[in-house]
Amino acid sequence: MELFKRNKAATAVLAVLACVGVGAWIYQLVGGLAVTGMSNGVSWGAYITMFMFFVGLSAGGLIVASSASVFHIKAFKRVAMPAVILSTVCICLAGMFVLIDLGGIQRVWRIVTGPNPASPLVWDICVITCYLVINILYLHFMRKGAERAVAMVSRFALPCAILVHSVTAWIFGLQIAKEGWFTAIMAPIFVASAMDSGLALLLIVLSALNASGRFKTPKELIASLAGLLATCIAVDAYFIFCEVLTMGYPGAAGAETLALMTAGPTAPFFWFEVIGGLLIPFCVLVFAKNRAKTGLVVGASVLVVAGVLCKRVWLLFTSFIGQNVAGAPGVMTADGWAMAGSYAPTLVEAAIIVGVVSVGALGFMALASKLLLPATEEETVPAATSRAGAPDLEFDPQVA
Amino acid sequence: MTRYGMAINQTRCIGCQTCAFACKMQNGVAKDMRWNRVLTEGGGVADDAQGQYPNLTRTYLPLACQHCENPACLKACPTGATYKDEMGRVEIDYDKCIGCRMCMAACPYNARSFNWAEPAFVPDFVYGDGQVERRERGVAEKCTLCKERTDRGEEPRCVQCCPLDARIFGDLDDPNSEVSKVIVERKARVLLEEQGTRPQVYYFE
Repeated sequence: MELFKRNKAATAVLAVLACVGVGAWIYQLVGGLAVTGMSNGVSWGAYITMFMFFVGLSAGGLIVASSASVFHIKAFKRVAMPAVILSTVCICLAGMFVLIDLGGIQRVWRIVTGPNPASPLVWDICVITCYLVINILYLHFMRKGAERAVAMVSRFALPCAILVHSVTAWIFGLQIAKEGWFTAIMAPIFVASAMDSGLALLLIVLSALNASGRFKTPKELIASLAGLLATCIAVDAYFIFCEVLTMGYPGAAGAETLALMTAGPTAPFFWFEVIGGLLIPFCVLVFAKNRAKTGLVVGASVLVVAGVLCKRVWLLFTSFIGQNVAGAPGVMTADGWAMAGSYAPTLVEAAIIVGVVSVGALGFMALASKLLLPATEEETVPAATSRAGAPDLEFDPQVA
Repeated sequence: MTRYGMAINQTRCIGCQTCAFACKMQNGVAKDMRWNRVLTEGGGVADDAQGQYPNLTRTYLPLACQHCENPACLKACPTGATYKDEMGRVEIDYDKCIGCRMCMAACPYNARSFNWAEPAFVPDFVYGDGQVERRERGVAEKCTLCKERTDRGEEPRCVQCCPLDARIFGDLDDPNSEVSKVIVERKARVLLEEQGTRPQVYYFE
C-alpha cells in the first residue's frame, strides 16, 4: 500500500469522497430513483452516460497489453501491468454504474434465473463478466510471470475487448425507437472511441506514475503510444463523419436529429467533442515533435478523454429530446407535462458518480502498489517478467 | 387464437380526457403517471388548432400502449418481465422487473411510466379496481388493456367510458368482430408503421 502512504492527502480526500458517495447511494436506495434528475421523458441519465464512458475507458489498457502478445509489439509489454490494472478498475466501475442505475436492485438476481436471450443488456452482462474474468486472469498470470499463459489469455482478451464495446453499443444501436441511436455504425464508433479514450487515460496514468517515480515508462514508449492515439482519434473522427453525413444527407428524419445535435441543447457537447476531443488533439499528436513532449501528450490525452465523455452525453441525450408520437401535452413527469425531454443531474447523482470514481482511483492505487514494481528494480527488465526472475521472452510468431 | 386490439375513431374523439381519467381510476395509476394520454396533434399546447386560419383543424390522439405484435420493449427486457400473453396483450410481470428501463428506451410510443418514487395518490388513498395488481417503487408500468376486465369478458375501462363511443375493442383474429370490420372498412392506420412494431391499436377517421 505504498502509494497510499506516499500520497496521504490524496488518499484521504478520495476516501472522504468515496464515503460521501456511499452515503448518497444509500440515500438513493431509501428515496428511490426519484432523487435523480431522470423522468419518464428522459429515462436514462448520468449513470448510463458514465457506464458507457467507463466501459470505453477500460478498453485502452487491455488492448495495448494484449496487442503486445498478439501483434508481437514488444515495447508495449513494458506497460502491460499498469494497463491491465487500469482496464480492470474501469470495467468494475462500469458495472457499478449499471447496478446503481437499477430501480429494483433487490430483484437483480432475476437476470440470472430468467434471462431474456434477446435482450442486449443480457448480452452485455455476459460479455462484461467474461471481460472482467479475462482481466483478472491476465493480472494473475502476469504477476506469476507465466508468459505462455499471458499469451493465451491475450488471444481471448482482444476479441473480448472489441465485443464488450460492440455489445454496449448495441444496447443503444438496436433500438429502432431512437433515431439518433439506430445505426449500424454505432458498434464501430463505440470501439473507436473506446480505443482513443482508453489509450488517452492510459497515457495520463502512465505519466502520473512517471511523475510519482513509482513506475517508469520510457519517453519513446509514451511517444509511440501517443502515435497510436493519434491514429485512433482519426478513425473515431472518420466514423463520426460517416454517421453525420448519412444522417443529414437525405434531409429526412435523421436531419432533424442532426439539427438537434449541432444546434440543440446537446450541441455544446457535440462541438466540444468535434473540436476539443478530436480536432485539436489530433493536430497536436500528428507531429512526432509534439509526441516527444510529455506535457503536450498529457494535455491532448485529457482533451480526448473529456471529448469522449461529451460524446457519451450527446449520444445518449439527443435521442431523448423528442418523442416519436409528438403531441401536446407530451409525457407526464414529476415536474408536470413535458413536450421535450429535459434532464440535469442532481447533487445526489453527482455525489454518487464522484464517489464511484474515487473508489476506482483508490482501487487503482491499491492494485498498483501491490502489483507494480518500484521504478529502480525494473529499469532494464519489463515489470511482468522481472518478478519471476524470468528472462524477457520474445515470442516467436510461429510458435505463439 | 385471440388477439385483442382496439380501433380509435379520431373524428369522434373530442379530447374530453374521460378515457385518460377512467384508466387512471380503474388501474390505480399513481400521481405523475398516465397509462393513457390524450394528445393534441400539432401545435404546442393541449387543445391547440392545426393549420392557418381559416383552414383550421383540431385532432386528438389518444395514446397508450399499442400492444404491438412485434414489441420492441419485449425484446429489450433483460428478465422477461415484459411478455406477450395468450390474448395478444403486452403485459408486465412486476415481480421480475429490475427497473433497468431498457423497455422505456425501446418503446417508440413513450407508452411506459416508471415508478421513480414510492407511488403517491391524489387524493391520498389507493383507488382503483381491487383486482388490479399494485405496483411498487422501481418498476415500469403501462396500459394492460385492462387485463382484469377483459379476462372477465368486459371491455377495457376507456372503451366503456368513452362518451362518444370513439373506441372499439375486440379480437383482431376474428374477421367478423366489429373491430376487425372497422379496420378494413375505414382503412384504419397504425402509428409509426415504419418502425415495424405492428401495433394492435388502430386509428381511423
